[in-house]
Parts: sequence; C-alpha cells; structure tokens
Amino acid sequence: MRILITFLATLLFYSCSKMPEYNPERNFENIEKQMIAEFIMVEDSQVINLDEGHYLFSKSLILEGKNNVTIRGKGIDKTIISFRGQAEGAEGIRIANCGNITLENFTVEDAAGDNIKVTDTDGITLRNIKTAWTGTVKQENGAYGLYPVLSKRVLVENCEVLGASDAGIYVGQSEDVIIRNNKVYWNVAGIESENSENVEVYGNEAYENTGGILVFDLPGLTRYGQNIKVHDNMIYENNLENFAPKGNIVGMVPPGTGMLILATRNVEIYNNTIKDNRTVGAGIISYLLVDAMGHQSQTNDSSQIAQSDYRKDVNYDPYPGNIYLHDNVFENKYTLPTLDNDFGKLFVLKFKTKLPAIIWDGIKHENFYLDDGSINPEFKICVQENESIRTATLDAENDFEGLEVNPEIFHCNVSI
Amino acid sequence: MFRSDKSLLLLIILIFTFSCQKKRSEENTILPQEVPIATIGENPIYAKIGLTKLSEYGFFEGNLAELNPTENVIPYELNSPLFSDYAKKQRFIQLPVDSKIELVYDEVVQFPVGTILIKNFYYDDDQLKAGNGRIIETRLLIREEKEWKALPYIWNEEQTEAYLEIAGFTTAIALNNLENMIQYSVPTMLECKSCHEKNGKIEPIGPTLIQLNRDNLYDGKEMNQLAFLHSKDWMGKVPDSLIVNKFPDYDDPESGTLDERARAYLDVNCAHCHRPEGPAKNSGLNLRYNNEDLFSLGVHKAPVAAGKGSGGLSYDIVPGKPEESILFYRMGSIDPAIMMPEIGKKTTHQEGIDLIKEWIVSLE
Repeated sequence: MRILITFLATLLFYSCSKMPEYNPERNFENIEKQMIAEFIMVEDSQVINLDEGHYLFSKSLILEGKNNVTIRGKGIDKTIISFRGQAEGAEGIRIANCGNITLENFTVEDAAGDNIKVTDTDGITLRNIKTAWTGTVKQENGAYGLYPVLSKRVLVENCEVLGASDAGIYVGQSEDVIIRNNKVYWNVAGIESENSENVEVYGNEAYENTGGILVFDLPGLTRYGQNIKVHDNMIYENNLENFAPKGNIVGMVPPGTGMLILATRNVEIYNNTIKDNRTVGAGIISYLLVDAMGHQSQTNDSSQIAQSDYRKDVNYDPYPGNIYLHDNVFENKYTLPTLDNDFGKLFVLKFKTKLPAIIWDGIKHENFYLDDGSINPEFKICVQENESIRTATLDAENDFEGLEVNPEIFHCNVSI
Repeated sequence: MFRSDKSLLLLIILIFTFSCQKKRSEENTILPQEVPIATIGENPIYAKIGLTKLSEYGFFEGNLAELNPTENVIPYELNSPLFSDYAKKQRFIQLPVDSKIELVYDEVVQFPVGTILIKNFYYDDDQLKAGNGRIIETRLLIREEKEWKALPYIWNEEQTEAYLEIAGFTTAIALNNLENMIQYSVPTMLECKSCHEKNGKIEPIGPTLIQLNRDNLYDGKEMNQLAFLHSKDWMGKVPDSLIVNKFPDYDDPESGTLDERARAYLDVNCAHCHRPEGPAKNSGLNLRYNNEDLFSLGVHKAPVAAGKGSGGLSYDIVPGKPEESILFYRMGSIDPAIMMPEIGKKTTHQEGIDLIKEWIVSLE
C-alpha cells in the first residue's frame, strides 16, 4: 500500500506542475506615431529598419497593399515591439493584401489578439522572429503567435514562439507553405496547419506545448487542406495543460499529444523524433469524433470542445485518409497518459500502462471498403515503423468494441 | 461513452481529477496605457498622400464648420448607419462635373473616378456633458483611377480647420448618455481599410440603392434621395419596382419586422467584414442582409479563430439564447481582444445590443 501511495504522490507531483512564466525586463520608448506613419508611407521595394530598443504600441501596426517590403530589426531580444495593454485593434502587426513581404530579426510581444497576422498575401517570409506573451502562460494570452491565413507562398523559419493560447505557428487556408527550423513551446498547439495545401513542416523543435504539431481540416471555411509533409522534427514533452479558451477547436487536444491529424488527406509523417508525449505520439482522427465529443460535452462541462455541424458543409469530408507514417522514432518514458481529458482516461482504461504510440479513432467512411473487400485507397492509413512501436485503432463509433492493438489494417502502402 | 472496468484505475482517475483542478488565473491586471495626445495641426510630410487641410478641397462655403455645401456637393443620408460611438454623421458626395453615378443592384452604387465621399463625425451640444457640440473628424473616400483612397482629417478646437492625420488620433469625449468618458479614436489611414475592404480593395460601404432610398431635405423640400439624384441627372432612373425596397432603419420599429431590423443592424455593423468578399471571410461567417443560409449566418456555427473572443461559448448564435451566443457576447465587450467590431468602438451600443438580444430570443 505504501508503494502505491508513493507512486500516486509522485505522479501527482509531476502531473500538476505549475504553468511556466516568461518575465523579461522591459524599458519602453514610444515611437508609435512615426512608426504608424512609416508603415503607411513606405514605398514598394523599401526596407523599414527598426533600431535596437523596447517599443510600446497602443494600436496595431498595419502594412497594407504593399509589395517587396522588408521590415527588419536588429535581432531577436534586441528590437522588441510590445503591444502590452493594447487599446485598439486585435492584432499586433497586421500584413494584408500584400506581395513578397519579409519580416525579420525582431521580437513581438503581448498583442491583444494575434502577435503577427498575415492575410490575403502572396509571398510572406517570417524569419528569425520571436513572439511571446509575457507573464504566466495563461488563457488570456492571444490566440496565435505567427498567423498567416488566406495566403500563398508562406515561409516561416528560424522563429521562436511561446505563450499562444491557441497555436504558436498557425497557417490557415493557405497554400505552398514551408515551416522550418522553428522553436515552439508553451503554446496550446506548437505548430498547426489548418485547411492548407502543399505544406511542409520540417526541422522544427516542438516541446512543452499541449500538442506538438497539428494537421487539421475543418468544415465551413473558404478552402480545404491536403498534401502535408511533416518530417525531421523533434516533438517532445508536449504535456502542458490545455489552456485554450473554451469554444476553440484546439481545446479538444489532450495534453500529452505529439501529433494530431484531423480529417486531412495526403499526409506524410516521417523521420521525426516523437518523444515523451504522455498521452499519444501521433493521433489520427475524423471530425465525427470531434462532433461526438462536442455532444458529450453538453452534459460534461469539463470538456472544452465546440464543433460545427459539419454536415451543413456538403463539400466537407470529415475523414482522414491517404496517410503514411514511416521511419519515425517514438519513445515515451511515461507509463500513464494525462488524465484531465477523455482520451487519457480512455487510454488508461483500455491500454493500462502499455500505451500505443500511434492511434486512429477507427471511424470509417461508408465506402471505406471497396466491393472486393480491399480498403479504398482514399482512406488508407499506413504505418511502417519499427516493430516495437505499438499502434491501435479504437473503433470509437462502436463504443470501442472493435478496439485493436497493432492492427493489420495499418500494414499497407500508399504514395503521397 | 467510457466504462470503467477496474476500480483501482477509477480511484487513480478520481484522485487526478480532483487534485489537478485547474486554477484559471485571474491575472489580467495590465491597465490600458495612457495614449499620448497628439497635437492637431498641419503636417507637411503628409502632402505626398493628400491635401493636408480640409478647406483646400473647397467642399464648403462660408464658415467651414457650418458645412454649407458648394455646387457639386450633394448631401445624403443612409437608412441604417454604422454605429460609431454615438457620433452623428453628416454625409456628402462630390461628383466630378458632367459625370454620373451608375446603378448597381444589391451592392454599393458605382461612382465615377474623381468622386469624393465626405463623412463628418460630430456630436451635438445636447449629446455632450459640456454642451459644446463639435465636429471631431472628417473622413474622405476619394475615387482614384485604380481604387479608392481613404483620408482622415481632424478638426481643431476652434473648429476653423481640419488637418490630414494618417497615424490616428485620440480625444476624450464626455457623453450625456454614458457615465464614463470615452477615448474617441480617429482611425489611422490603414484602419479605414479594416472595414472598407472588398476583395482586397478599398470600397465604400454605405451607399447602396436600398440604403439611399429615403427622403432628405433639398432646398428646404422633402424629396426621395434617389429621385433627387435622378432629377439632377447625377444618376440613372431607378426602376419603380426597386423603389419599394427600403433598407430598414434598425432604430425605427415602423421600418421593418424585428428580423428585418436585426438583420439590417448586422449587415451595417458587421457584414462589411463578415461577408464572402470581406476581410473576415476566413471566419466563414456571412452577416449580409440577403444571406439566407442559417449556418453561415452563425446559427450553431462554431468559431474558427476567435481565441478568447469566444468567451467560453460554443456557437456564434444559439437560437433563443443570447447569453450563449458569441455574437451577442462580443457586441457587449470593449476589450480589443474580444469586442466586435474590432475597431472604431470605445463604448458598447446599448440599443443595438437590445435589438440583437430580442432577435436571438425570437429565433427557434
């Protein structure tokens, strides 16, 4: 009995750790008016140089309708653009309707909403930028650190993002995207690709988030996503409490998630090291599961899920498919998942201490099997990992009756 | 959904559940910073953007603050105006000589190159605690060859001139109907486009045919605005069938049903962004007056990137339940991270909130 109690006490100690804090010293100067004017008056192909220093702004800095403009600081932690106590506007820096814009070498902090939002822009490079919310990591922080949306030719590299109450680096409804060599931590989602096409995510370090890297396709938006490659990333210790405000889809991500793929087609995940994420290394789920959890949450307020009635978007396909995981390293030093969520509770009941690294919800489209009994290539989920890697399908639509460990169904080939 | 099969595991889970109760931090202690008060005056650097003084345009004759329009400057009103912190607006169109407004149905009418839309924001004597009614700002939309340009002019204390200011301006206003002062904010030149945008270009929002379809005073006589513009040969003749359609005045219960007025309110105050061609199209929300699809109107639609703007709520609109509707929640906020509209609002619009509340309650 004493051993059991010690065991429990140890677990509690590790699982209930405090939220991290980020408290840099700041001495602000005010250059708001000049800078707003400079952003407006900058001409195509010019560079806006930002000096070293800490600058406080009460409203958004907006770059609108410009081409080939560069905004360049003196380096991360040297040029600080802070929106602490922002009185107007939801974003810190907003880039809209532009072409070939580069932002590099500065830090952006404490915007009321998103630190840097880029929308309707063809050609955007975010390089060597740090974005953060200061103080204790908390729900009141802004949603996204770096947020390119409705854009084309997006490059996010060598950035460092922390504290986002949704996703650190989030690319939404965009195409031709590269997210590489970034460091993301203390966010709900480290990196998220949502409804985007031709996305490559590699060389990133995603750690101590709630979920490391997410690939989502959601209903009711301007476009759908596909063709995603996630490779050569370090995804570890993503065990942070989920601090997303309720009503946001990432609120459903269980702490301890390495990767989560939701309802997306043509996803290849390879050469990643996915380590010590307590609940699941890589989860593959359909929107039907999100939908079911949403209904359940109406009677169980601890859940943070919201979902749209995806059936109203007739063009939306809620099933994942053509997914290929191979040559990843999966390790998990933890024996129990996080237990403040339904997934963790379920896993401990079903798998005890032998947690699978890769889990599919097992919810199948009505045409999952072709007439000849083979699997419709559109819906294939193929796993080619080291034999020691445990996998599972949950059969979530049938109350987990068909739950299976190391299922045969993952032994297949796809081309992406 | 999940059944327990081992009591020990259940025990562990229970312990975890109770011991790891979230302590949602309440720390939101940062106060809005003091906004530096800019001085009002001519800034010669802005000359490359536009005329630096309002008087230079020659829109008005005599005392500038009386806004007496010159020959080709035509006053107009809208049936349902955008809420702007209870400011009143006096609007004019300056048309180039010998040019004409083209009729466009369901959208803003088409103005010829060279048109200037003039919108003066002011408070009456009886709106202000100090009783010193004044014009705060004049915003111009200028139709250039390629697209529209938006220019904000700020009036001086003496009310003798307004100066171009592209970087924004804040001034404290004490309104009779509000307990606290508000920090009225003139937008920066680019913030204009945060609302005035369609398919990535600056566009006027207000003057659609049904918005213009109302009476106004011309030379002391009441006359329908569309008929007046036609009589002056400034616009083609609007078919009689269309004249029947008037955009409801959300403030006037006589002008439409509850549903019509609420939808008019949402159209004017939200749909400039929340429409398929607008800057908030990524939200998937379409609040245009003519949108008949309940889902994209927000009914049982989950937010996409609302962040803490969701207020812990699950759907934009929950029929019958305004207090569970994100749309209603965000209307009632003046926190920049939560409030809608995102800019141009320093106080909530109680009458609008009441209208939308009543409307959501009425939905099934």
